[in-house]
Order: sequence, then C-alpha cells, then structure tokens
Amino acid sequence: MARLSRSGQKPGKRSAKRLILFVFIFGAAALVVAQSAPQIRHVFDPVRTAAGDQLGGSDSISLWARISGQAARERRIRDLESEVRELSRYKAAAISMAERLEAYENILNLMGEPPVRGVTARVTAESDGPFAQTLLANAGRAQGVDPGAIALNEGGLVGRVIQLGEYSSRILLITDFNSRIPVMGEVSGVRAILFGGRDGLGSLTDLPERSGFIEGERILTSAEGGAFPRGLVVGEARRLGGDWRVRFGMANRSGGYVQMVPPPLIETPALDADIPALDVPDGPAQASAAQGVRQ
Amino acid sequence: MASRKSGRPSKSLWSQTGPTPRLLFGAFAIAAIGLLGLTPKTLFGLSIAWPYAALWGAVGWGRVGLSLRPMVLLIIFGLIQDISFNAPLGCFVIVNLVVYGFSAWIASMFDVMHEPLVAVIAPILQFISGFLVLWLMASALEDHAVRATPLVAAFLTTGVIYAIAHKVFDLGRAPGQPVGQAT
Repeated sequence: MARLSRSGQKPGKRSAKRLILFVFIFGAAALVVAQSAPQIRHVFDPVRTAAGDQLGGSDSISLWARISGQAARERRIRDLESEVRELSRYKAAAISMAERLEAYENILNLMGEPPVRGVTARVTAESDGPFAQTLLANAGRAQGVDPGAIALNEGGLVGRVIQLGEYSSRILLITDFNSRIPVMGEVSGVRAILFGGRDGLGSLTDLPERSGFIEGERILTSAEGGAFPRGLVVGEARRLGGDWRVRFGMANRSGGYVQMVPPPLIETPALDADIPALDVPDGPAQASAAQGVRQ
Repeated sequence: MASRKSGRPSKSLWSQTGPTPRLLFGAFAIAAIGLLGLTPKTLFGLSIAWPYAALWGAVGWGRVGLSLRPMVLLIIFGLIQDISFNAPLGCFVIVNLVVYGFSAWIASMFDVMHEPLVAVIAPILQFISGFLVLWLMASALEDHAVRATPLVAAFLTTGVIYAIAHKVFDLGRAPGQPVGQAT
C-alpha cells in the first residue's frame, strides 16, 4: 500500500504538484524580470488599460440595467451628466472672468497661462500598496483627458496621469517616492524639487544652500521642466528636524473627485531654415496687415 | 433532533460541505473583499488598512497540501492584484504562490489541524513570509526601500481577519480527494 503523506496524498502525485508550484513561481518571476525591459513592459500596457477601464467604470450600460429594463433611464442619466459637465465648464469660465483677463493680456501683449479646460472624474480605485501610489479615475481618452494630464482636487495638485485608457486614467500621486515636482515658495521664491516621503509629508531636494523657505508659506509648482503649469498649490512648508518638508494640500481635501487639466504645451522652436523669409512689405500692404490685427 | 436523541453531536452545514464548494465560496469571499478594497477607504478622515484577501486563500488552502485548482485561483487573484496595485505583472502571483507553498510545506511537516500551537504559529509565520517577500520584491523593483508601515498595517488586518474567519478558507481535504484520506 502506497504511503500517504500527512495531507493524504501519494508521494509521486505530491512531487508532481510541487513541481507545478515551482514552475508557476518561476514563471511569475520570469514575467517580473522580463518586464524590466521597457519594450516588454509596453506589451502589457493594453492589458492594464483594458483592466483599468473595467475597474474605472466603462461607459457601457451594465448587464443588470439591461435585465431590469433601466437601460433607457441609465442612458438618460449619462446624457444629463455629460450636459452638466459641459455646462459647468461655461459656468466656471464666466465666474473666473477668464475672458476679461485674456483681453487685458492681449492689450499688454503678455504671454499668460493658457485657459484651463479640464475633465472632472470620480476616483474609483486607489492603491496605497508597496508599489507606486496611484489613483484610478473614471474618465479617459473618450472624455477628453490628455496623456500626462495634471490632476487637481479642492486642496491642490494631486498628481499626473501616467496611464490613459479609453474610459479610465491612472494618476501617479505627488505623495509617491518616484514623483519629482519642481516647486517654489509662494513668498520666498525659493526653488526645489519635491518628492513623496515615507511619513506622508513631501521631501525637498536641490534647495539653494544659502536660502530657505518661510515657515507656513504655500508651496506652488514652478513650471520648470514644463510638466506642470506654474502656480498650482502643492502644500505648505514645514520645518521638521532641521529639514524643510511639505504638508500636502491635496491630502486634506480628498472629496473623491479629481479634475484633470491638460499639461502645458510648449511648442518646439522652429529652426531658422524652416521660417520663411519675410518680404519687406509696401505701404498699402502694411495698412491691411494692421487692419487684420484690429479685426 | 434525531441526532440529539441518538447522542451524536449535530454536524453543521459547513462541516458537511465538500472541498470544491468550500474553495469556490472562499474564492468568492476573496474576490468580493478584494473588489471592495479598490474603493477609496477612509473612515472619519482616517485611511483604513485593507487586507490582502488572497493571502487568506494561500494560507488556508495550503493546509491540506498542494492542489492545482487553488494554485490557478491564486495566480488569477495575483494578476488582478498586480493590475490594481500597478505592480509589475507576476509580483503578487509570486507572493501568493510562495505563501501557498510554504503553507503546504508546513502542513506536510507538522500537524496543523490538531496541534493548537502549530495551528496558531503557522499562519503567523506564513503571513510574515508573505510580507517579507512582497516588501523585498517591491523594494527591488522600485529601486528604494518602500514604506513598511502601511504594509505591516495591511498584513496585521489580514492576520486578524484570518484568525476570525479561517474556517471559510479551510477546505477540510484537498479538492478532488475522496473522503477518508484526509487527516
């Protein structure tokens, strides 16, 4: 009679299962190692975005709504929601007097910040595990979110879109160790690079040696590097144990929604050879050009 | 009433359930709690440490020895965890399978069903091993030592809930194994 183990399995069968377990573990390890190559990692991106779309809430009507005959009502709610989103943009633009500001900027020939147009989305999932700290929001390419969009909440900067699906966006939080944000003090004007610390506060690096922040002053984005627009609120400067730290503004006001605004677009300067040579215009032509500007 | 009259203790419905329904029920519980964990988790402004539900299955299902069906389920759960935690695919698969293998190895070495001390210490060691593997992998792949505090909090929650609900993940015997072979 074959000897049974404590778990009641024959030794041959048990060793086969053990072999299968090792094969699975080594297969998973090989998969992890293979993803260290960016080319292979990008192969899995569609899988991640598709899964993110499902987790983030796709735009399709749910099966339950179809079965219970509520599909029409669901569709109507979605139409109204999109209409409200559209209208809120106009309302925000009217309230903020963006047009008047733009007119002033035109008069002064000032290159101001581009007008903000954004998509507000609900946070459907958040991961605070040992890997990158991210959020999943239920708006993606279909709703007009751009790659690298900047996410904000009521408290200030939340992060940046690092993965964009059709109906979902994954946002890398500014609290993550791997995020690097060029910031400046609102009053002191001191520049630094911010990254997430282990204790929930932001750490600052690349500070100037002879100057420091002012206790309690607001920390804003400095727009260096071009990834973030200038002047977004990040948090408050705090002096802890001889180091300057940042208390994140977004952590206090996490209402479950984020607004995703497009990243600043900086045009690549054209080469001299690409610029067409300007003809010296005559008198009447000058007049018509000026008229064109006025119009 | 009949069983009381005959002097035998009445058996609960769960004790009469076979390993396959138990496995499916456990998998459903893991999936439900795991999906619930994807939602923002704050209570009165405090963030809640959510358990790594798949580890309950890894620890509980491994107690009856190795089997193919739990392995497949743990791989599926691991891949879902990889996607939801934005980890490289395969990380949580390794964690789940290592803990499962460790659980099965301990079960083959000691009597985890009847020795009270082993029954208590074994899951603790298995959860610690899962925590260590996950922390090491995350630190290696993220190029820095990742924060251990939220991880420890999540693993404590996992352990405490497992201590309460371990019967849900007890298969009784390996799936597919006939009655009478289990200890």
